[in-house]
Amino acid sequence: MIRSKRPSRLAALFGVLLALAMVAAACSDSDPSDTTVSTTQGTTDTTAGSTDTTAGGTDTTAPATTTPGTEISNPGVFVHAADDEPTTLDPAQVEPGEGGETIILQVYERLLEIGNSGPDPVPSLATEVPSVGNGLISADGTVFTFPLREGVTFHDGTPFTADDVLFSWDRAMTMDLPDGAAGVLSDTVDSMRVVDDFTFEVTLQEPNAAFLNAVVPAMVSSIVSQDAVEANGGVVAGEFNEFMSGNPVGTGPYEFVAWNRGEDLQFTIFDGYWGTPAFLDLRVEIGASPDIRVLGLRAGDYDTIEADPSFIGDVQGAEGVTVDGEGLTVEPIHIGFNLKFDPADLPDGDRIPAGFLNDPRVRQAFNLVFDYNAFVNAALGGFGDFNPHYIPQGIFGYDPTAPVYDQQDLARAEELFREAGYWDEGFSISVVTEEANLFEVAALVFKDSVDNLNNPNMEITVAAVAEAVFDDAHASDPVPYAMWVKNADPFADPSAYLDSYALPDGEWGEIHDFRAGYADADRVQTLIDSARIELDPAARAAILAEIQRVLYEDPMWLIAAQEGVVSARRDWVQGYISNPLWPRPSIKFALLDKG
Amino acid sequence: MVDVPAGPAPARITDSAWRVRTRRGGELLMSLLKNPTTVAGLVFIVLLLGMAIFAPLIAEPNTPDAYQMPRDWGALAVPPGSPGHILGTTNVGGDVLYGVVWGARTSLRLSVIVVSLTVLIGVTVGSIAGFRGGKVDEILMRIVDVFLSIPELIFALAIAAVLGPSFRNIILALAVVFWVKYARIMRAQIIHVKENEYVDAARVIGDSPLRIYLKDILPNSITPVVVQATLDMGNIVLVGATLSFIGLSEAGIAEWGVLVSEGQSGISAGRWWSSTFPGMMVFLWALGFNLFGDGLRDVLDPKTESTR
Amino acid sequence: MQIRDYILRRLMVLPVLIIGVSIIVFALTRVGGSPIGVYLQTGMTQEEVTELEERFHLDDPLPVQYVYWAGGVLTGELGWSGVAAAPVTDVFLPKLAATMELAISSALVAVVLGVALGTFAGARRNRLPDHLTRVFSISGAAMPLFWFAILLLIVFWVYLGWFPIGRSDPNIYARIDHPTNLYTIDSLLAGDFGAFGDALWHLVLPAATLGYGATAIIARMMRSSLVEELQEDYVDAARAKGLPERLVLRRHARRNALIPTVTVIGLSFGFLLQGSVVAEIIFRWPGLGRWMADSVLRGDQATIMAYVLFTSVLFLVVNLAVDVIYAYLDRRVVLGE
Repeated sequence: MIRSKRPSRLAALFGVLLALAMVAAACSDSDPSDTTVSTTQGTTDTTAGSTDTTAGGTDTTAPATTTPGTEISNPGVFVHAADDEPTTLDPAQVEPGEGGETIILQVYERLLEIGNSGPDPVPSLATEVPSVGNGLISADGTVFTFPLREGVTFHDGTPFTADDVLFSWDRAMTMDLPDGAAGVLSDTVDSMRVVDDFTFEVTLQEPNAAFLNAVVPAMVSSIVSQDAVEANGGVVAGEFNEFMSGNPVGTGPYEFVAWNRGEDLQFTIFDGYWGTPAFLDLRVEIGASPDIRVLGLRAGDYDTIEADPSFIGDVQGAEGVTVDGEGLTVEPIHIGFNLKFDPADLPDGDRIPAGFLNDPRVRQAFNLVFDYNAFVNAALGGFGDFNPHYIPQGIFGYDPTAPVYDQQDLARAEELFREAGYWDEGFSISVVTEEANLFEVAALVFKDSVDNLNNPNMEITVAAVAEAVFDDAHASDPVPYAMWVKNADPFADPSAYLDSYALPDGEWGEIHDFRAGYADADRVQTLIDSARIELDPAARAAILAEIQRVLYEDPMWLIAAQEGVVSARRDWVQGYISNPLWPRPSIKFALLDKG
Repeated sequence: MVDVPAGPAPARITDSAWRVRTRRGGELLMSLLKNPTTVAGLVFIVLLLGMAIFAPLIAEPNTPDAYQMPRDWGALAVPPGSPGHILGTTNVGGDVLYGVVWGARTSLRLSVIVVSLTVLIGVTVGSIAGFRGGKVDEILMRIVDVFLSIPELIFALAIAAVLGPSFRNIILALAVVFWVKYARIMRAQIIHVKENEYVDAARVIGDSPLRIYLKDILPNSITPVVVQATLDMGNIVLVGATLSFIGLSEAGIAEWGVLVSEGQSGISAGRWWSSTFPGMMVFLWALGFNLFGDGLRDVLDPKTESTR
Repeated sequence: MQIRDYILRRLMVLPVLIIGVSIIVFALTRVGGSPIGVYLQTGMTQEEVTELEERFHLDDPLPVQYVYWAGGVLTGELGWSGVAAAPVTDVFLPKLAATMELAISSALVAVVLGVALGTFAGARRNRLPDHLTRVFSISGAAMPLFWFAILLLIVFWVYLGWFPIGRSDPNIYARIDHPTNLYTIDSLLAGDFGAFGDALWHLVLPAATLGYGATAIIARMMRSSLVEELQEDYVDAARAKGLPERLVLRRHARRNALIPTVTVIGLSFGFLLQGSVVAEIIFRWPGLGRWMADSVLRGDQATIMAYVLFTSVLFLVVNLAVDVIYAYLDRRVVLGE
């Protein structure tokens, strides 16, 4: 008898629980100012029945906080939904273009920052931008003097001095981590000197037109607290610092609170900030799919989201959401040709004739095969344009009259493949890409474009893998694929692009072995070297214009598009400013408020 | 997994002559058709199999590999009813109808390969265990128990993860996971059937063990395997689609789980079609085989009517 | 056989099964590339790697390697999770709590609804409610959870805005302590009913997703065992005594039908664990399942292996417990094979 009543008791218990939950939820979702009321309800709440009417009464207001509307969600906290989980928050370890750069931008500061618009550097921890005019650059263009800001403190309470600058830059160069960007400093800087507590001097190896806008404001040049580093493992050459990779200690407007892997990163307003303090605390949600980001923005749970042209249309026209689509990023989406792959590393089924990618005609042919119209006008929804090899629009030296690949020309491509002798033999190549993003779309367009040649012997396979898996492959030398899709890292100066993406002995020049492919590698090398040290703008522009023409004939990449800048935010976000030269999503959260 | 007392009682056929069995087949069909839910399952199956078999006629392929989605870059994410795209297109211009139709073929390929492999392995292992008994039985059944200790989806997920994301590896992973049930069912059947008089009779006549197995034991033990295989035709597609959804398949193939995964971002903007239709297909496929398999079990094995 | 013997026998088999599972898991780590990957941490020096190779005897024969590996597992050394950027053991407990909270809530829903629905259908055998329940149950087994979850997400989060995703409101999370990491329990311990409500509110969608499938399994079992019970002699006897049908059902048949239903709770628990992978991805629930899915995509072997091992052991233990309870409840059961 007693046992037989069990399920009904269980059901009753469950009912009570549910009723309790409803009461409690109704309390929790009502106006935050009623906290006292809700606690009283909570404590007197011994039976579900007695408070039922109260629950009913407040129940109607319960969904209000999650329903899109005029009421601001998450007051006091700015919530941004990011794409990738950072791999590190240490400036000395972060890879350009990686998710950690976004965070480093907010928490750390550099001597100079890229200003709120345009590529020009503005004072930050240095109080003046050196120039020959103000006497802070020596006449030969190699010695730079930075007067530093006084009264700045780090998040750990220690004061900022010139020693910290020397320490930070030296640290990055000493650690010299393979995934980090220390090369930006070590390839440029010859020596550094602390003149006094608030004066710092740098001598360059040679004059460098890119130093002030591409080296000093780079994330790797961020100033870290010397005390924090020395108290937590110090500096060891070739080894990353576990503490610093997860616990940033800088001078920026945000102080780091917590990093819940896979969930979020939390920051609070830094009270001791020397400049205009941040308006709100900050929470960066990690790893939400584009879909969740879009839904969260529409629901008002997020204030800004990291967006790209492939799904920006999904939030256009949504109530309470503002979408911007002006301008271009300076991170062209490109397909890399790897001339140095090891056949044994390639995926099963890949078949690549000897010397195939080394032939400039083949690389030209691929540039002609790509269906640019499908990618830019369809996949990017028109948010994008084209740029010559290898200088994006918006960067000094971009020549609008330089030839660009922006039209599919199958007939000419077939001609080139035939001329080079590969038309009959064909190929089968796997193109590796991160899954579920624009790069995968670019890879799919590329595959379909090659299918358009109607040559059954020519086959592209899209290998879409998880981001971390892609990053592994991308960071390997040699890369275990013959082709891959990603975007370029953003730089403020043309020489940085050319060094990375065109120079035979440059970053990718070595990994992909450009020397084995360029028709005249020495000429490319000479041109790029001279553009780097030429300080006269007109002469520099002329060299850059020539480079763009040379690289058109001998492309080392297939530039799918220069992606448009798109951003989406709640209407209540105030003071929105974005500069595509800041790491994605190109926002400094401290400048933003809600209301 | 659970030591339930009765276990699936084996169907007992005292006369193994073909005629009797065919007559029984007719009766079986009649009783199947009496149950409306079973009939519904059968209708789904027939429609879906028809779709899979006639896929090239319903949605003509225009890519070198017909199992790949064709993309129309001139019509991205268009709604159902658009010219040339009756069910609309995905975010990258994949024709949803093509995905639905060829997804059925992909599913058929997946389920037929996996079911045949697993039935073959499972029946062999189960037969050896049941027929030989003793130590062999003990060892084989312990292995089966171990395999059954790991939840199916998680096991398949781990195997596919270790092998790397590809459709072929999904097939492999499912085959490794799904054979054990058959081994267990087959063994239980054989142990029961072995005790029957006609087996003793055959033994007395001097039939070889292999002949006894093939002529008397196997045909009389196979019914629960058939029921399970029917259910698995549905379940394998369900688990396979889940693995694809999680991201263990390949980009751009006409597979329902992949399409639902790709269609997710569209839903937030009201583009319900590119994940709704393929998701519904997975549901209908699994539902059809489950309804039919369930009815089949009730008819073949009335005593243990739907104990699961 | 006595119940005690039965339990003892099952308990003796349990370690054998666990060892078996661990061998499979170990084998998997050796299938996927270099086994050292399981133990590596980012930034290790070559010496540390060599030291690891020696510690785990990676150049020894496989059985020897297995013994060292198993020893490591027993002492809680499960390797480094690339996804969580921490040792697997450090991240495991909080994530386990999240998954358990979800699984247990779903199980509660499923038991209550499943029993009710099964009773309803079983008492109306072969009539319309029975057919509908059958369709409902089989739909539950055939429903792709990933699709069902997406539909729920759209309707209840996007369009109606009734329920949130994630596990808690970060502001509410921050205001109470989390000694158990079960947010419902933590909030009750803190006496914060607002936080309790928030925890329950976040549970609704993922628990509904998982609960649907489990409800279907339980309803099906309940229905068929009730049908069986209703054909038993004691039911006829009760009817003959003139007991109203409602009471026959409630006092006799349902009680006995519940006993075999207990057995499927173990089965549905496996279902809940598996479903949690998908539900956690879609609803951004920070549990083991989502960690597993991330790890699978990123080839984080150490996490995958720890997860498979743990889930299987849990599944075994739950099933054992269920069988033991069943044995106690139903003395008529013939124990053994």
